[in-house]
This record gives sequence, structure tokens and C-alpha cells, in this order.
Amino acid sequence: MSKLIIDDREIEVSPGTKVIEAAAQLGIMIPRFCYHPALGSVGACRVCAVKFIQGPFKGVQMSCMIDAQDGMVVSTTDEDVADFRRHVIEWLMLHHPHDCPVCDEGGHCLLQDMTVSGGHGIRRYLGKKRTYTDQFLGPLLQHEMNRCIHCYRCSRFYQEYSGYRDLGAMQSANRTYFGRFTDGILESPFSGNLSDICPTGVYTDKPSRYFGRRWDYQRSPSLCINCSLGCHTVASIKYREVKRQEARFSEPVNGYFICDRGRYGFFYSSLESRPRMARINGKQCTFNQAQHAMIEKLEEIKKNSGSAAIAAVGSLRSSLETLVMLAQLCQTKRWRDPACFIDSSQVQNVKTAISRLEPQLRVSLRDIERADFILAVGADPINEAPMLALAMRQAQRNGATIVVIDPRPVSLPFPFLYLPAAPMALSAYLGSLIKAVVNRGTADKMGDGARKFYDRIPEGKKLAEAQPPLSSEMLQSLQQSRRPIIVCGTEILSETVLSLSADFALLLQAAEKQAGLFYLMPGANAFAGGILSGEKDSFLQIIEQIEDGSIRALISVEADPFWWFDDRPRLERALDKIDLLVVLDYLDSQAAQRANIFIPTATFYESGGMLINQEGRVQVAPRALLGGIPISQAGGGDHPPRLYDVGIAGFDPKAAWLTLADLANGAAQEDEKALQQHLWKQISDLIPQLATFSSIDEIPQEGIVCSCGVNIDSRFSINWSAASNIRHDSGDDFDLIEVDWTFGTEELSSLSPCLWKLERKPCLVMHSGRAEIIGLTDVDLVEISTETGSLEAELRTADNMAPGILVLPRHRKLAWQIFTPGKIRIRKDQIRKKQ
Amino acid sequence: MLPKELRESLKDHIANIDHPRELAVDVMFTLQDHYGYLSDEAVKEAAELLEMTPLEVDEIATFYTFVYREPVGKYVIHVCDSVICWMDGYESIKDCLCTKLAINVGETTADGLFTLLPVCCIGYCDMSPAMLINRKVYGHLNPEKIDSILEKLKAEA
Repeated sequence: MSKLIIDDREIEVSPGTKVIEAAAQLGIMIPRFCYHPALGSVGACRVCAVKFIQGPFKGVQMSCMIDAQDGMVVSTTDEDVADFRRHVIEWLMLHHPHDCPVCDEGGHCLLQDMTVSGGHGIRRYLGKKRTYTDQFLGPLLQHEMNRCIHCYRCSRFYQEYSGYRDLGAMQSANRTYFGRFTDGILESPFSGNLSDICPTGVYTDKPSRYFGRRWDYQRSPSLCINCSLGCHTVASIKYREVKRQEARFSEPVNGYFICDRGRYGFFYSSLESRPRMARINGKQCTFNQAQHAMIEKLEEIKKNSGSAAIAAVGSLRSSLETLVMLAQLCQTKRWRDPACFIDSSQVQNVKTAISRLEPQLRVSLRDIERADFILAVGADPINEAPMLALAMRQAQRNGATIVVIDPRPVSLPFPFLYLPAAPMALSAYLGSLIKAVVNRGTADKMGDGARKFYDRIPEGKKLAEAQPPLSSEMLQSLQQSRRPIIVCGTEILSETVLSLSADFALLLQAAEKQAGLFYLMPGANAFAGGILSGEKDSFLQIIEQIEDGSIRALISVEADPFWWFDDRPRLERALDKIDLLVVLDYLDSQAAQRANIFIPTATFYESGGMLINQEGRVQVAPRALLGGIPISQAGGGDHPPRLYDVGIAGFDPKAAWLTLADLANGAAQEDEKALQQHLWKQISDLIPQLATFSSIDEIPQEGIVCSCGVNIDSRFSINWSAASNIRHDSGDDFDLIEVDWTFGTEELSSLSPCLWKLERKPCLVMHSGRAEIIGLTDVDLVEISTETGSLEAELRTADNMAPGILVLPRHRKLAWQIFTPGKIRIRKDQIRKKQ
Repeated sequence: MLPKELRESLKDHIANIDHPRELAVDVMFTLQDHYGYLSDEAVKEAAELLEMTPLEVDEIATFYTFVYREPVGKYVIHVCDSVICWMDGYESIKDCLCTKLAINVGETTADGLFTLLPVCCIGYCDMSPAMLINRKVYGHLNPEKIDSILEKLKAEA
């Protein structure tokens, strides 16, 4: 530790801490433009100057460039440095336009703050200002280069930090220009962060342009529900709508940044098409009417067909409150247990992941940045959880080797070693990796189970058949690594691979490595869904039971099976068959449109609540706004109508769990506080780690990592003979895998108009060699026919993928729901070129 | 489009080096010699050859004074605009060139013969004030000397 004095106050900091950071720990904000904790120091802007009075350095120096050391005495307020900084700011302001009153950054502009606080009040420069031509950078960011002060934060973030290569610094000196080679949409799915890190208004948020100053917004901490990582955001609300979202710092989760899917994925919450009124058989009615009708109808069905004829579907985008209340409702009413997952393999995968996330194994996104070896198995970070890719990029920049074993053509913004492996071959690869880096003695240390597990790893021949083989580079860097992490997706793998990854991580720990395990999950609250679901609770099971007549009523809570169920005609037939479909949602989903009774619910912004991310971290977001129809819609661009009415128009929706509580109690409940307390009790019973808190408000900002569901008995229990049974790729048919893309496949962000232009054209992806054999080429229009229907899409071919695989994005523009749920095999004669 | 032989020779050259990026400037000069300046098309071709993005090539191209991203005249005059030449009368040399060519710094004469560009130090401080024309240095400049140089070049053109 180094002890130093800054502005007459002593502070002790860890070695390697820069003086600017040491001061920050004392609450002293030294001015900065180029310095950013995530980007590090470059000493370019010269505005963080301080005076070193005693110690190894003397005089005016840049505080971002010097490590805090013992015996330093530093002044940030000395007359010399204040004068120095005032002059630096004056230089930086030479060409800066006087457009603060019309600039969107005005009010939260670092340059504005520094100019005022630095004491540069009157402009002395009378010459002609340098001007630039701005570029079109896509629908998310507005470019205004004249405001630039050349701090290089944008190009450093864009190229060095996130690894994209289409925005940078051109020209030199006073003419330096930050932009692209030509106008065009920025390629990085992290581009929105430029508006956060630019210290002035060169990049401003385009969708919320000219809508308000920062102080006009109600700014509220929130959480992202567009993937399972649970990144922290700040929601900015004005005139009853979420208008902008920014990254909120979180040490263990997202750091300083968020991805564009999360940043711009909020538009669903204030769409004009969002249903604000309850409906009975498509006709609008009051909230109470719908609620009465729902209670009545359900009673009727219970009387005629028994409680077990009622089933409920939960959703992975619902809050923990809603999921817990739904589970409780089903229990007290003796309905079927709610299903949150599509089929049994999905629920089993998530449950396996939860049971294997032992406290000593699980790691956060921050730990991933510090890893020196990352093995990603069946995970496509940039498409499934973009911020994971950004964390892996940091590890790679620090010298980590990244190995990706996946059937898909994975692309990442950094170099990595890639093995195109069929999902069936993944356990074989993991087996040979274990054999290569862990010896029997190490396995023995973990006990009998581990030794037997190790001994049963099939030797030689079978593993050798896994093609292509592991390279010596992969093995060597894993052997030499100190902090290896295994990243594992839960979407396209079998639970065996998930288990095996955890066993592998355990063995690596036994081999004295600080190994970690990181799972991705299929939704924002999949972890909670997994805890609350039984092994067999799946939507497919509900469909089967509707088909055999045992289920007569379905309640769908914030879930739209039309979005994710594989077989659309079968779903429609099933829904036609039941007596009652109740839908609670904030989206105008297809299920909502078909509902006999529809009850609007509040979005996560309007209800707040808890989410459990894929790491098991229970996080809380407060309510960010009350709700109601946005003024822009109520007033049609003008002042909203003056209605003599109580309440706010469109204020009907309430949190889904409240409606469910009413349903559980048979009538509308008045005392929301009491309900909340009751629910909190339920939740803290479910998650023991929460028992130390008396209410939701006490949960710390970085959340509480829970380990409910962990089962150490499931260690080393996989069945090798089944796992190593590699199906030989006959070359005649394909395993279809349905995948996520960064944009266009996720339910909520697909409703953001500004993201539509960023979507890639939906396409099927096939190995180029295989395509050639069946007479198809790149960009052919193809048709896939099944018993259920047909799907038309463009075919793209790729060399870097497993040959026996056909990749299908669940894209909003494709009517892809024509398959039988479960493992989908497509024969080559089912694929045909369209003329 | 780049002629096939030129493209192949550049490819060979690049294939023999560990980090293609190291050859960025050489490739840009080759393309510039071919096209007369580094056009947008040339930037894209260079990017493709070097496995860089057009932006990355452009970052380097626009940094260097001797890579021309716009069409230039037959003779490119780089008049030295640095400390020693300032002391030895850069201003009057620059003015003299501007008057004689009837252009401003950064412009090309109407007949397409001369482009006048300032450059920060060409390393001929011993001959200051100095300038480069098509990579040939002219030192100890004065108006008469400039006259004769320009006349000679015009005659040769």
C-alpha cells in the first residue's frame, strides 16, 4: 500500500493506483477528458494537472500518468495548477462552438462543467473556428464533430476496448477527425457507449434527440432485461415515457458499459400499440370487469373440470415477484405448476446450470476480464449476451487465449481459436481436454467420484473421431493458464455438456488453477424460472395435455408462446381447443390478441422488482415511472386533452404479481404494503441469502449472489457411454439449431424501431461444402418444408462451422415456427432452391 | 482497378512479411504512384491487400503529408513550414509561390501542373528556406530562383 497526502488529506491506496484515482477515493474529482477508468491513462488532454509538492515527482504533472507512491504530497488547488488547467481548457475551447443552448449534451457535458469550474469564462480567441463535415453514423448516434476536443476516448473505446475497426481518428493535429471512412451505420453493437463516454456532444443519443435536458428527465436506476446478464442501466423518463437509457456503473456485472440491444431495447414500453386497457373477447372493458370475468371463468372451469385443468405459463422476462406469485398461485389453487420454459430439455439445462453453479466456481463478468484462458462451449457471446463478448475482449487484450468450440460460425471482435464442433461432439472434446490437462492423481484428490469419472472418460479411438482435433496451442495455453474460465451456453447444448463443463472447472481447481464457470441462460430471469420450475414443467407438456383434453384453461403471464414455440399450427390448434385463454402482458403479443380475457400489466420500468441473472445474482430495480399513456401519444404532439377524470389515462396496468395476488385472494386487494411484505417473506424463504434483509430496499446495489439450487451431489455423475456416442454425420441430413442474433431475435428489443436498421438480413446458414453437394450456393433463396409448413429464407454459406448443422435465427421477420419441438433433423430433400 | 501484375507483386511482397500492416505506407505509395493520388478506391484496395479496414488505412493515409487523398498537380511543391525556414524567410517564399502560381496553399493551378502544400520540416535546414518538388529538394530559395525553377518545370511539362 502507498500512503500519500492529497490536498492535506491522507489516503492509502493499493500499488499501481494513479494519483487521479487516489484523489477520487477521497472524493476529489480532478478534471479529466482523456482519462477514463476503463480506458486507462494516455496523458493527452493535459487537464488533470496537479502539483507535486513532495515526493519522487516535483511540480506540475499529469495525475492520470503517475502512480501514487509513499510520501507524495499533492495539491490539486495550488495556484500554478489552477492556472495551468484554466489555460488548457481555454485551448480546448478555442474551436468549440457556442451551441450549448441547442446541444443535446448541454446540462450533462463534462466540457461544460470543466470550463465553468476551471474558471475559463470569457473567450479571448477571435479567429476563425475550425469546422468539419459531420457523418451519418446510423440510427443510434448523432455526429457533431465541431464540438470535438480531441480526447480520443471514442476511438480508444471503439478500437482498443471493444475491438471494432470502422471508427477511428483520421488526419492529424488540429484537423484530427473522428469518424468512419464513409458515412454509414456503425458496426459495433457497443456504439451507444460513445454517447456516454464522449466528454462533450460529438456523439449524442439520436432517438431521444431534442427531447429534453438531463435535468428534465426522471432518471432512475434500472436493470436490462434483454438478455440474462442483468446489466445496470439508468432509465431516463420524461412525459410518461422511457426516452433514453444509459449505462450505470456496476463493478461485478457490466462495468461502465452496456450493449446497444440493452441501451435501445426499451421502446416496447411506450409503443402506441401497447395495450393499456383490459379486454374481454377482444372488446375493451375496465380492469375490474376483466378481473371479475377472469375469476368467475376460472371458478367455472374448476367446477366443471377440476383445478388440474388450469395451467399457467410464466415468462423469463417477468420479475422474481411475478414468478414467485405465479408459483404460489398455482400451488394454492392446485393448478398445474407453471411452465416458464419451452420444453423439458430447456428446463433441464437451466436447472442443471443452477445446480452446478457452486459458489467457488461461479464467476462474474469482471472475473472474465481477468481470466488468462477462456473456453467458450456452445456459446455465441456477441449474439446471445453481447456484454460477455466485451468482457472476453478485455481478457484477450490482457493476453488470454480464447477458445471457442461451437457448431455455429461464431464471430467475435478479437482473435480466438475456433473449433467447429457438432453439439454431439462437444462432450468428447471436453473429455479429451480433461485428459490432456488433468492427471489421474489430481482427479483422485477430488474423491472417489472424481476418480471414477476420470477413469471412465473414453480413451483414444472414440475421442479421436471428434473432428477437427484440438490443437496443441489450445492444450498448451490451457496447461499454462492460471485463471481459466469455462463459458457455457444453455441453448443448444445437452445437459451433459453443461455438467461436464462444471466437472472440468472443478478438476481445474483441483489442479491448482483459479478456475471459474460462467453459464449463459435463455432469458433475463431464467435463473428464477429454473428455481421455481420442476424438472418436467414445460410449455410443451402443457400443449400435450391440452391435446389430450386434460387442460381446459391457460393463463399466460407476460409470455408469448407465439414468439418462441416451434410449432405454430400446433399451438393454434391447442389454443383453439381450450375453453379459456387469459393473457396478462404489456405487449400486444399474438397471444394477447387471441386472449379471451386480456389484462394489461406494468413493464419492468413501471413495476420495478427483482431479477436473478445467470450468475445467480439477485438484483433490484426500483420503479422508474408510474405508467400511463405518454404525453406525446395522449396529446398527439400537442397539449394532452383536458379531461375531467380521476387518475391518468392509460393507468390501468399494474404489476402482474399484484393481479395474480388478487386472483389468489379472489378479490382486489387494497393493502399493497401487506401484500408486499407477504411476498417478501415468500421470496426470502426461497432464497436463504435474502433472509438477512428485512425488505427489498436493503438489497445492495451490486445484488446478492445466491446459491439456492446448488447440488454438489451432481458432481461427476455424467453417463459417459451416452455422452461419447457421437452420431456419424451421414452427410444426408442436418441438425437444425435455432439461435439468437444480437438484433432481431429477442422479443423486447425487436420492438425498437431504431434497431431495425441494425438487423442483419435473416438467413439460414449452412456449411459451404455441404451446400455445394446439394446444389445450393451462397445467397440462394431456399425453402424448407416440414409436415407443418414451409419456411422461405436466404441461404448463406460459411466455411467456419460444423458441416452437419443448419443454423436458423429466430428472427422476427421469419415465420420459422414450423418444426416439431425437440431435436430437429432436416433431411436434404426437405431443402429446396426457390426460383 | 489495379493492374493484375501490380496487385500480384504487392501480394507477394505482403505475403513475405509477418505483419502486413507494416507495409501500409509502401502499399499506399505504390497505389499513389499508379493512380496519381490515393483515391477512395485505392484506399479500399490497399485495405483489402493489407487485411485492414478502409478506415484503418485512411487513419494512416490522412496522417501523412506525402500521401495525397485528393488529386494533385503534376508537380507537388512541398514548401517547408518549420522553425528554421521561418527564420530564413518562409513567409516571403510562400507568398512568392502563391503569387507566381496564382493559387493558395493547398490548391492546384488551373492547368493542373502545380500543387502547393506546406510541410513541417523536410530535414534540409542547412539549405533553408527549402522546398521539395516531386521528392527533389531545392534550397536557399529566393524569388529569382523560384522563377527559374518553375519556368524550367513548365518547359519540361
